[in-house]
Order: sequence, then structure tokens, then C-alpha cells
Amino acid sequence: MPDWGDAIRERLRGLNLEGARETEIVEELAQHLDDRYRELMESGAPEQRARGLVLEELETHDLLAEEMRRARQPGTREPMGMGSTRGRNFMGNVWHDLKVALRMIRARPAFSALVISMLAIGVAGNAAIFSVFNGLFLRPLPFPDSARLMDLDETAPKWDLKFVGISNPDFYNWQKGNATFERMAAYTGGGANLSDDSGNAQRIKTASVTYPMLDVLGLKPVVGRNFLPQEDQPKGPRVVLLGYDLWRRLFQGDRHVVGRVVKLSEQPYTIVGVLPPEAVLPPDAEAWLPLQADPNRGGSFYLQGVGRLKQGLSQAQAKADLLRVHLSVIQDPKERADPVTTPVLQPVRDRYLGDIKTVTRILLGAVGLVLLIACVNIAGLMLVRGEARSREIAIRTAVGASRGRIVRQLLTESLLLAGIGGVMGVLAGNLCLRGLISLMPDDLPKWIQFGLDGRFALFSAALTGAAAMIFGLAPALQAASVDAQGCLQEASRSSMSRGKRAVLSTLVVCEIALALVLLVSSGLLVQAFLRVLHVDPGFRAENVMTWNLRLPNVKYPKPEQGYTFFSGLIERLKSLPGITAASASNHVPLGGHTGYFYRAEGAPPLGPNDKNPVVLQVVALPGYFETMGITMLAGRGFEERDEAPKATPVAVINETFLKGFWPGARTADVLGKRIGYNGEKPDWVTVVGVTRDTKHYGLDQEMKPSVFVTFPTNPQTLMTTVVRSAIDPRAIVGPAREVIRQMDRDLPMFDVRTMSEKLGRSLWVRRAYSWLFAAFAATAILLAAAGIYGVVSFAVSQRTREIGIRMALGARPARVLAGVLGSGMLMVAVGVALGLGASLAVARLLKGMLFGVSARDAATYAVVIVLVVGVGALANYVPARRAAKVDPMRALRFE
Amino acid sequence: MSDRSIDRDLKKGSAELLILSLVEGRQRHGYEISKLIETRSRGTVRFRVASLYPLLYRLEGRGWVQGQWVEKPGQRRRRYYRLTPAGREILAERRRGWDAFVEAIRRITGTEYA
Repeated sequence: MPDWGDAIRERLRGLNLEGARETEIVEELAQHLDDRYRELMESGAPEQRARGLVLEELETHDLLAEEMRRARQPGTREPMGMGSTRGRNFMGNVWHDLKVALRMIRARPAFSALVISMLAIGVAGNAAIFSVFNGLFLRPLPFPDSARLMDLDETAPKWDLKFVGISNPDFYNWQKGNATFERMAAYTGGGANLSDDSGNAQRIKTASVTYPMLDVLGLKPVVGRNFLPQEDQPKGPRVVLLGYDLWRRLFQGDRHVVGRVVKLSEQPYTIVGVLPPEAVLPPDAEAWLPLQADPNRGGSFYLQGVGRLKQGLSQAQAKADLLRVHLSVIQDPKERADPVTTPVLQPVRDRYLGDIKTVTRILLGAVGLVLLIACVNIAGLMLVRGEARSREIAIRTAVGASRGRIVRQLLTESLLLAGIGGVMGVLAGNLCLRGLISLMPDDLPKWIQFGLDGRFALFSAALTGAAAMIFGLAPALQAASVDAQGCLQEASRSSMSRGKRAVLSTLVVCEIALALVLLVSSGLLVQAFLRVLHVDPGFRAENVMTWNLRLPNVKYPKPEQGYTFFSGLIERLKSLPGITAASASNHVPLGGHTGYFYRAEGAPPLGPNDKNPVVLQVVALPGYFETMGITMLAGRGFEERDEAPKATPVAVINETFLKGFWPGARTADVLGKRIGYNGEKPDWVTVVGVTRDTKHYGLDQEMKPSVFVTFPTNPQTLMTTVVRSAIDPRAIVGPAREVIRQMDRDLPMFDVRTMSEKLGRSLWVRRAYSWLFAAFAATAILLAAAGIYGVVSFAVSQRTREIGIRMALGARPARVLAGVLGSGMLMVAVGVALGLGASLAVARLLKGMLFGVSARDAATYAVVIVLVVGVGALANYVPARRAAKVDPMRALRFE
Repeated sequence: MSDRSIDRDLKKGSAELLILSLVEGRQRHGYEISKLIETRSRGTVRFRVASLYPLLYRLEGRGWVQGQWVEKPGQRRRRYYRLTPAGREILAERRRGWDAFVEAIRRITGTEYA
């Protein structure tokens, strides 16, 4: 008898079996091989052949060592497939699972498409909104350590102004006295006419900054040097730091630009350096000039500040310190106890995005709800499918598949679905994002950029992963815990268990409730938007074109020159064909603000604690009210005689001014009364007209009292030309530009826009979020309908046999229909009830955005309820009808 | 379901079922088990050493069968396997599942109105 021991031991090598155990195995196998050998010999096989055949028993695909590896420790982990779970086979198993999952997905195209599209919709919405959120709020500003940069300003609640700007004395006082900022700088925006030798004039935005500005931001010039302290003195030299883009545009990036001279508003400025592309604060400035402010000249609040906090100090500490410094120089103790202006500071980003922040957060919430609905839907579908597959799973369990393996297989499927849905969602999200960006105005600060970045990718991945877990794991575990034998014998016959159906119904109820919340919110928001759109702006925007012109002081040093220029321009424009009216103003509606404090003759004096509202003062040329389409309620507008040198100064007030200063007075009563500045020298002007209010700050914004004054009383260098045309207003821009060129070839037109455009742009945030909300709500109700349909259809298909029996026993189809519909509509009813409660709570959060639409607007709620119940009924009816058409004979044979 | 994966599950599940059934009535040693499977299936199913013993060890590891060295006078000692109470339960369950499976297969592959 051959000795098999060595052959066996060789195959067991590498398993590192414990000595005694190995000996036992060798003994047992050797005996087996002996028996086999003896058997072969007895059957007459030659010795050599018998030995070969016996050894082959061991050789089988070298399986022995492989199998022993698993058997080595009794009770080792259950293998997933036939291969080893460990090491080298792991990837093979994953690959196998993936292939199987892919086949499963392809085998049920409709189901898979449903799941994938639901997921994609949820992810796409989230991805798009998140990108906006990310671009606005999460992406760091392009400055080193930008979290330490604080925007500085002053606030004046008594003047009804959140931000008034900083006055020279205040800024220099803060700068000198504070102990919490490393450095501080102040700036103010401006503009200049940049003309080259060829006679092409263009308008650029400039900023006047104190010399440490670049240091505060933590930046260095790319060419040349920063401003010197001595350049930032009153009457200092005319020097300029070119912005990066302007430098590229004007000088094609020539590095030898330092020392050259550019003409800004007719004045020569020497270039001392070029700003880095990161120098995006003040926003949109294309060139920086030294501020050259006189620290002792107060009165005007026109600066904005930025400071770099010292390391480790908080905003609150800095604020307390600034207030201390601010109060320390106020002499009057009464004033010190209750100062008119106080410093305010906030992170730079917040200053520019305060309003959008709330909106984006609410949108994120909305989109989260849609994703939640999608997930709930998918969970329901997977649960249904897990149920439908319970037979298959039971069979696999019966024939030896382990629980772990089944869970893994189902999980792989879910993850694959989630992965595909996620990728499609990101792609679709990118498209949505582009749509969103196109809705945004083009004057957002330059440092805001949208698009994919690492954080976004991470967010999406987490989102899909979470969704996969939510809808994948629960049904997988549930499916795997299915009692194999019970399933094969019972579940096959009729319906799913009570518990599982309860889970499904709960999911559908949640879905309906969530959809209702979104529908109500979007209903309210869209209604608010429509209401805003229907607000009468107080002027007629259609067919009005506007543009700005700024007269350089050098060329037009005397106010009369300015008047001559503008009135001459208006006369020439009026003679152009197609133009029906023309005028000019320094602040057309939606176009900036200059505030003054006024008092009215004969009006009750202000108490010490009365608010003294800032009055918007608008300078207008004759014909302005007619051109802009502003209605006169009483009196008249400006005429040429009002502009004559010795004419009595006159003014026109709006309704809000009238109500504020002469409460109870009728419009006609105030004509001839006088108003003036609230100071030692009132400069009285006589009211000759009262206009209807115009929505100067935006359709959804508050009215402020305003006063219109004539040009000679308040000469301006920057005026907005307003032209009303009988034709397309854009067609007159060309001829108008030619007229201006003839008058002054160095004078550029800028901010050329129709009033309708201005109105549209002023509403972009509201328009964007209202329609986004509506889109989400539409998605939500569609998803919910799909969910109801899916669950009810499934229940019907599960109950086919039961329904068949009932009908065989004489139940009428109408009864069956009613029964199925009834149980389905019960879910809808519960969902609606829950959703109503939630909606009332959510709508309260939206209050600030509703523009007077009640958060409990009955009509909105009624329409939404009807809509949801209608959609729910439809989604129920289709499968219910199918149930009523069941053929009893076929149903009984169904299984 | 993947053909290959059900094939794998099937083989593994059926092999376990076969072994458990064979040691149900009395205890048997490995060679005896392999011979019985071969003869009763008329040569259709055959287990080689390389797959039979690992399976036995695994069943033993799960506590479904128990192996024991038995010495008989004049013979070398042999390792006999017998069914444990836990194994008995599994066997009953597997039998039911198998019957249902066979029935299901029969329904699918058999005549429609059988």
C-alpha cells in the first residue's frame, strides 16, 4: 500500500495547521485514499493507474488546500460564494456581485429607471442648490486668512438706516484708537472716464482707498509697488494702481507699465503698480486711487471699512473695542449715552450676501425635502421589490445561500442603483446649476464663483451614499430575515405581512405630507411673487431707456456748464426720431440713493425720541415726471423757468413725505408750503407738486419719503439720462451715442439699460427662489404620485388571489374598486392631515418672504389639498380599476 | 438571479443536504459517505476527497454533525460522523425547502395544468 501521508501533507502546507490537527486530518484522508486504492485494485486496475487515480482525488483543481483553508478553524465565517471570502478572492466576489447586480437592474428596466430617476432628481436639485450655496457662502474669499477680515460701517437706527457709511473723523479715530485690529483700511467707490488718444472713451469703476488697503487684504501688487503713506494725504500726488484686468486690457500685460500716465476724467495719473487678480474688494473696482481724505473733515458718511482682526480675537471683542473708541471722542454726555451712529462690523462675506443667505438656506431645506421624498419613495419601492423577491430569496436560502451573502447581494444592487442615480443626478445638477446661474444678475461680486469643487463632490457622494443606505439596507435586512420556509409556502400564496404593509403605508403617508409642505410653501411664495409683479412701481417702465453720464470736474468745473451740457443734450435727444420724451435725473428708480434730513414748515416738531427718517433726495431736470411716467397727484413738475438763475427754488414731494411730515394733510393743501434741510441753514424750497410714490428701492421694498429738487439748487456731475421712445428703446442707443460724441468725444455712456431690465434685475432673487420652489413642489407631487401608485399597484397584485376569491363568491367589481380605493385614500387623508400641520409651521418660517400673503392663506391651502387629493385619487384609481377587472378564474390559478 | 450564483448555492446547499441525510440514521465514516452518494446516485454525483472532507469539517464546525474516532478490534481507528440535534433541525428545514424548490422547478418546467 503506498504511503499517502507526504502527498497529503504537501497539500496542507501553508495552512499552518496545528500539529495534532494536521496529524488527524492526514490519518483520516490517508485511510480514505487507502480504501479507494483497494477498491480500484480489486476492480482490476493496474497498480500504476490506481495510484494515479487516487492521487487525482487530491489534485482536483488544487481545491484541497483551498477548502482546508476554510475548514481549518471550525466555525469560521460563512463564505459568501463558493470562493474564499478572504484576500485574493475578495475583489473577485465584489466583481461577481456587481455583475449580478447589473444583470438584475437590466432585467427590470422599468423599476430600475424609476429608482434611478427618482434619485437623480433628488440629487440634481441638491447638487445645483448646494453649488450655489457653496459658491456664495462656503468657498473662501481669495484673501489669505480671510476669516479674519471684517467689514466696518456705522449704523444709525434713528435715521432709519442700517448702514450709513463711516465719516472721515470716525474712521481715523477708530484706526488710531482700536486695540483689536492688526490693520484697518477705508474705501469708497467711484468711477472715471478713461479716454485714450484715439478718442474712445470708456467708463471704468474705481475705488479710492486708504494706503494700507492691500496690506489689510494680505495681497501684494503683481507689478510695481503699493501706495505710500505720503501719497494718501489731502492734495497728494495723482497716482493709480491698475486693476489686473484693466492692465491686461489696456497694456496687454506689459510689465514696464510703472511710471506711465493714464488719463482719468481728463486728469493725468501716474501708474505705480498693478493689483493682483485677487484684489476683488472693493467689488468691481478696475483701478485704485489713494483716498487722500482729510481726517478732520466730517459730516459726510461715505466710507466703508475693512479690518484684519488680530489673531484669536472675536468679532464681539472687536465690536466692544470699537464702540469704546467711538464713544471716547464724543464730548456731549447726552450724546455719548445715546449716540446717533455706532460702529457695526461683520464678516466681509456677510455684508454682500446677507439677503441671499436666508433664501439659499430655505431653498436647501426645500431641496432636502425633495431628496427625502425621493428616498422615501425608493425605500418603498425597494421594500416592495424585496417582498416580491422573497420567493427567490427563500429558494436561495433553502439551497444554501447564507444570510450575509443575500444582504450583500441586495446591498450591492442598491448601491449600484444609487451610484448610477447619483452620477446622473450630478450631471443633471450641473445643467440645473447653469440654469440657476443664468437667473442671477451679472453684478454679483467677482469673487463669487460657482461650479464643482471637492467639497461639492464629497457632498454629492455622501448624499448618494446615505440614500443608498436608507433604501438599500433596510429592505435587504428585512428580505434576508425572511423565514425561508414560511415564505415559500405562505407568502407565495397571498399578501405580505401586516407589519410590512404598515411600513409601506407609513412611507407613503410621509411622502404625501412632505409633498404637501412643499406645495403649500411654493404656492405661497409664487403667490407672493405674482403679487410683487403686480405691484404698481409708480412709473411706467416700458419703452424707457436709461444710461449714465459723468462730467469730469476738470472739463466742467462750473455747475452752469453741467446744466448747459445736460439740458442741451436733452434738447438734441428730443429731436431724434422715435423719441417722445427725454429728461435726466441723478437717481432714477432702482438707481441709488442720496439721503438728507428734512424738516417741513408748519409741521409738528420732532420729539427727542422720534425717528428722524432719511429722505431720498432726487435731482431732476424738467420733463422728468412725464418721461418716467410718474403721476402727479397735485401741482406741477419742473419747468424751465424753475431753473433760471434768480428763480424761487422749488421742490416736488412724494406721498410718503406728505404723510410723514404733514400727517392728515390733503395733497392740495401742501402746495406752496416750504421744506428745508434739518440744520442751521434750511435752504427753504417751495413745494409745487406732489407725486405718487415710486418704488425706488425695488417692488418688494419699503417706500421712503422723497423730495425732488431742481438741478441748479443741487448741481450734479453724474446724471442718468432717461428717454421714452415710441419704438424699441434699444434702437435709440446708437443715435444717442452719436449725439453725445458730437458734444464731447471723451464722454462714455455707461450702465445702458431699459427700465424694464432694471425692474427684472431687481427681482431676480425673488423670481429665482419662487420658481425653484415651484419646480421642487412639482417634482415632489410627481414623486409622491409615483409612490402611491407603486404601493397600491403592488398591494393589488399581491391581493389578486384574495380579490379573485371574493369575486368568485359574488363580490361586485364596484365594491372591490371601492375597497381598494378606500384603503389607498386613507393614506392620502392621513398624509394630508399631517402635511397641513407641518405646512403651517414651515409657512411661518417663510413669513418674511411672503410680501403680505398670509402664511395661512386659505385659498392656497384649499388648492393644494384639492390637488394632492386629486393626484392621490388618480394614483389609486388606476390600480384599483385593475383590481376590479380581475378575472376570478385566472386569479385563482395565478400561483 | 444569476445562473452561476444559483448554481453555486445549489451545489453547496444540496451537498450539505446529502451529507446530513446520510448521517441521519446512523453514524458513518467519510469513505462510506462518498461511496453511498456515488452508488445511490448511480454514479451521477461523486465527491472527491478534496471537496468531501472540507465540507464535513465545515458541517462539524457549525455543530450540525459531530466526528468521533472509533476503534474496533483488529482494525485501524476510523472517524465516524453522526447528526447532532442542531443538524437534525437544519436537515428538516432543508428538506422542506428542497421539496418546495423541486416543486417550484417542477411547476415551472412541468406541464401547465398538471
